[in-house]
Amino acid sequence: MALLDKKSKEALTDPLMANNPISLQVLGICSALAVTVQLNTAVVMTLAVVSVLSISNTVISILRTMIPGKVRIIVQLSVIASLVILTDQVLQAFMYDISKQLSVFVALIITNCIVMGRAEAFAMQNSPGKSFLDGLGNGLGYGGILISVAFFRELLGNGSIYGYQVIPNSLYEMGYQNMGLMVLSPGAFIILGLIVWLHRIASGIKED
Amino acid sequence: MHSNQYTLIFTSVLTIILASLLSVAAGSLNQIQKLNVEIDSKKNILSSLGFKESDDEKWTSNEILELFNSNIESYVLDKNGNQTEINIKSIDPEDDYDNMPIYINKTENGINGYAIPISGKGLWSTLYGYFAIEPDGMTAKGITFYAHKETPGLGGEVDKSWFQNNFVGKRFIDDKGNLVGIKVVKGKADVNSDYEVDGISGATITSKGLETFLVDDLRKYEPFFKKIRNANG
Repeated sequence: MALLDKKSKEALTDPLMANNPISLQVLGICSALAVTVQLNTAVVMTLAVVSVLSISNTVISILRTMIPGKVRIIVQLSVIASLVILTDQVLQAFMYDISKQLSVFVALIITNCIVMGRAEAFAMQNSPGKSFLDGLGNGLGYGGILISVAFFRELLGNGSIYGYQVIPNSLYEMGYQNMGLMVLSPGAFIILGLIVWLHRIASGIKED
Repeated sequence: MHSNQYTLIFTSVLTIILASLLSVAAGSLNQIQKLNVEIDSKKNILSSLGFKESDDEKWTSNEILELFNSNIESYVLDKNGNQTEINIKSIDPEDDYDNMPIYINKTENGINGYAIPISGKGLWSTLYGYFAIEPDGMTAKGITFYAHKETPGLGGEVDKSWFQNNFVGKRFIDDKGNLVGIKVVKGKADVNSDYEVDGISGATITSKGLETFLVDDLRKYEPFFKKIRNANG
């Protein structure tokens, strides 16, 4: 990729797999459990987090030399909170049905550790361009896991993918049943645990 | 290290910028959001009265408004069941117990059904919906829920059609003319009973809550429906 230098590229691609915020750093678990019953909500939540994270990273990076060190956390928080409220308002205006399903979890992006974590750990030290890519990468890394969890939960719990029935009726007539556990939070824990496990085997990372 | 003065000025300026950004956004989107809420509640009133959209072809906002305006008349009842002149938009059914909104589906051949708002506690949250009644004033025509925070897959099944369809044709007035409500029983309802529907397995508290607030809300409208039943003989 000639378009980006090596460090920018790393900022974007690292969080997708090698340093994934959910499966490696175990951040942002709360919303990952809550909004993954269906793919639809998981995709919209991903879009919301990607936009909040990349914009907040960029804004904070632009302000990074101006932000007084003593109040930096509260400044980061105000920027993030404003962006989240803005996202929530936009969803309520233009995607009303989905905003109803996501309910309180859009507002809870404010407390998503990934957003604050990237602002403090990356945007405060790096240029706006790199910070934007880092935000984008982390948002997509988060979303990737969210969408994989939602895929299995919707498939096993409802027999559908993105709202389309994929398990044929004939199978239900033969006695197949949807797995009720999958629509409840414990189902998300199990799927997420398996994904984290597989990811760690694949990447060969060991906790000390 | 920045001085205290700089810190104060920086935070003030930032706060003002962010606050104005948010108020502009909230102000400009407010109309669209209100319209969304209104359309959603109209869609639910229509659906409780038996107007269903098909899965392949969702209604657009304009279609919903048009359908509502051409089929539904709404007005406010006082607590004795008499029609009042109060504008339905000016009352809040949650606070206002004396003024009760009612939505009537009128056709060329007369009245086709009544819809009333229902709300009450389930397990985790307050459920909001509409309950529709046949013109006889004693039979359920439909039920919908548009807002709740019950567990998906358990209490959350109240917004699924398998559950809602159970209510259609059930009665909430017994042979002596007393209000008895509709029982949400554990497991399968007695197929011969006109007064029970299947419960949701694993969601006993949501089911019982629904049963209780449904009969409470129907009791408020009882003076009105009693008149209708008397008029029908």
